[in-house]
Order: sequence, then structure tokens, then C-alpha cells
Amino acid sequence: MEKSGENEMVTPGDVLGRATDLKPGKGAYVASHNNTIYASLTGLRRIQLPPPDSPDQRPIVEVTGHKAHGPVPEPGSVVIARVTKVMARTASADIMCVGPKSVREKFTGIIRQQDVRATEIDKVDMHLSFHPGDIVRAVVLSLGDARAYYLSTAKNELGVVSAESSAGATMVPISWTEMQCPLTGQIEQRKVAKVVS
Amino acid sequence: MENKQSSSPASFIDSTVVPGDVVLDLSSMTNQTIKLGGGLRQDCDAISAMKAGTLRFLKPNKYWIESSQKRYVPCVEDTVLGIVVDSKADNFLIDIKGPTLAFLPVLAFEGGTRRNIPKFELGTLLYLRVVKANFGMNPELSCTDASGKAAEFGPLKDGYMFETSTGLSRKLLGSPTCPVLEALGKKLSFEIAVGLNGRVWVNAASPDTIVVAANAIMNSESLSTAQQIIMVEHLLKNIQ
Repeated sequence: MEKSGENEMVTPGDVLGRATDLKPGKGAYVASHNNTIYASLTGLRRIQLPPPDSPDQRPIVEVTGHKAHGPVPEPGSVVIARVTKVMARTASADIMCVGPKSVREKFTGIIRQQDVRATEIDKVDMHLSFHPGDIVRAVVLSLGDARAYYLSTAKNELGVVSAESSAGATMVPISWTEMQCPLTGQIEQRKVAKVVS
Repeated sequence: MENKQSSSPASFIDSTVVPGDVVLDLSSMTNQTIKLGGGLRQDCDAISAMKAGTLRFLKPNKYWIESSQKRYVPCVEDTVLGIVVDSKADNFLIDIKGPTLAFLPVLAFEGGTRRNIPKFELGTLLYLRVVKANFGMNPELSCTDASGKAAEFGPLKDGYMFETSTGLSRKLLGSPTCPVLEALGKKLSFEIAVGLNGRVWVNAASPDTIVVAANAIMNSESLSTAQQIIMVEHLLKNIQ
């Protein structure tokens, strides 16, 4: 399909054309009472010429919003997430970066008890692995259910990258299960990621 | 208003402190390991109070702040009185007067299996033990003691439950026996269950006894030993 560039900024409700001339694509819709195409997103308006063998030869007008440019987690990608809730058998996390890029919209991930580490997975205590507010590096296992992606930290280089102690200072990792607060010297348990220098 | 002396520890032990008071200065105590209990916070070398209450010290090295409040903060191994609020597939949701509801796993009973899950109505009062209490997570409870036996945990039938402060609950459970309970026990026969979360349950053969016992306990919080005994005699005179 050829694309002809017409990069005009539109807002929701802007008229994009008549339904007789154009077909609505993503981010546009037809109001049937007056056969006009309106935009439904804020973004750049783009017209795509139709493939030559289709019966309907109207060009397709679409609007690409800013979220369309953001990265989306795929199974197998390494993500950075912040833990929001720790429960008995799962921990919820907000995905912040996919690879090196930060995301444009909110994605939620879940780390299940059996995905925290590779050994002795039924004896995992979620509270000794994560606390709310920790930054973790995880890998996306699957798209999960409607609510959240399934994440896993079951490798040496995955796990808590940065955490705050109860005294408020950023803790220093001392082993794969422990981090120490520099202000008070208290040791707290986490599933720590091995940082390869 | 208190006189602020130079922060030598002896001046604050067993006296009232408020949040922000620096109660210990570690730079003046070298080579000691100190254990900090609830209500104290370490800021590099200064130990300051986070709660209003009395600073207590137990030899050789334990410091903590004792205070009495209506709000309960769940702690592991506490025995509490909880009320069933909801039941889900794996847990009962129990209200224990804490910041969140607590979970009671459906199998946490003596001889509990998937086939004989107890059915509690909403509002049932239970005597429970706190198994896990982490910050940010819902506490987990159990109806057995650490070795798996039932040991008095479970639903409490009949009787009357009332709410008190956490300080009074601790006094009622302290040893030697609290003066008000001793004085009541000499004349009346009743049974009592005290939860560290500020709930007390009393049961007796007749409603009069229950009401007298409950009133006596509720009145006894700020009274000294002698005053408590006098108050109990006064109440008992009125019913006999």
C-alpha cells in the first residue's frame, strides 16, 4: 500500500472528510446521519491509498495517536517494572520500560510465586522477595489475562534492581537474597538481580 | 511540660515521650548492641520516638515505647478477636480492627481438609492467632496454634463482645492477674476472651453477670489497683 504523507494535527471531533470520498481507518469513524468522517483521537492525520485489487477504491484516512509510537511488551522482552502490591502468592508491578524505551501508557504485570526464582519454587515467600516500591527487572512470559502480563524473575540477572529500606535510603545489594541499608545497617531480604558489569 | 535534660537515656526511661523526642544518643554509648522495639526509629546516631507513650527498658538492651490506642497494628503471634466479614474460595475475610482486612485460610483449622470446611455466618466472632503480618500485605490468621492443635481458637458462642483500647487488652492479659479480674473472679463466675486488637468477649450464666463484668472491665482502664478493687465492690454491691 502506498502512503501519501499529509501530516496535519487533528483533535477528536475534527472533520476528516466525507464518507463518499474516504473510508475511516484507525482513530476515525463515520457519523451515519450526515455521512461525515470524524477523528476520535488526537494525533496526525494520514491517508493511505487502497490496494489496487480491492473493490472499494476509497482512500483510508487514519489518525495515529501518541500512544501508537510507544513500545508494547512482547513475550520474551526484558522489562523494568515497579512493584505496586505484594500478596500471598503474587506480586503486581507497573511496567515502566520495555528494553531501553519507556512506555507511553500503563501496562500491569503480575509475578506469580512460581515465577520468582528457578529453584524451590513452592517455598517462595513473596514478602522476602519483593516489597512495594521496588524496581525489578523481569522478562515477559506471556500476554497473561485481560488484567496483566505475566512476568518472571527466575534468572540470575532478573530481580530487584533498586529498593528503598524502611529508613528511606537506597539499599546496597550484598547477595542474591539480601540488601543492606547504608544508614542503619539493617539487612532486608529481596530476590536481587545480579548486575553484570 | 517536661524539662528537656541532656539526652542521657536514664532521663527518658519510664517517662512520657512524644513523637520527635530524641530518646537515645548512640554516640555516647559505644560498643553496645541495642534492640529497638515498636515506636522507635533510628536516624544515624539519634534514636527518636515515633509514637506518644512511655519509654520502657528491659535489661540488658531492649527499648520500646508502650502506648495505648484504639487502632490495632497487626503483629505476628498476637491473639485477636476477629469478625467474619466475607468468605471467598480460599480464605475468610476477617475484620480485626487493623488497617486492612485479614485473611483466614479455609484450611487453617485442626484437621481441616477440603471436605470439612467450616461455614461461618457473616458476623461470627472468632478467637484467632496472627500468622503473618507484613507491611502493605493483608495479615494472615489461623485457628490453630503453632503445632496445629485447636487450643481454644475458633468461634465464640453466646456472650457479649465489647471494644477497648489496646493498652487495656494488654493489662488484662498481663501476669500477675489484673486486679479487676481477680476481684470479679472472687465473687462471680464468668469466662473471658481478650484480643490484643482491643476486643474483649465475656460470657456467663446470667446476663446480669455479663453486664457487671463488662462494665467493670471498661471502667478499669485508668484506675490504680486500689481504685479498681473499690470500683468492683461498688458494682457488685448493686446487684446483690
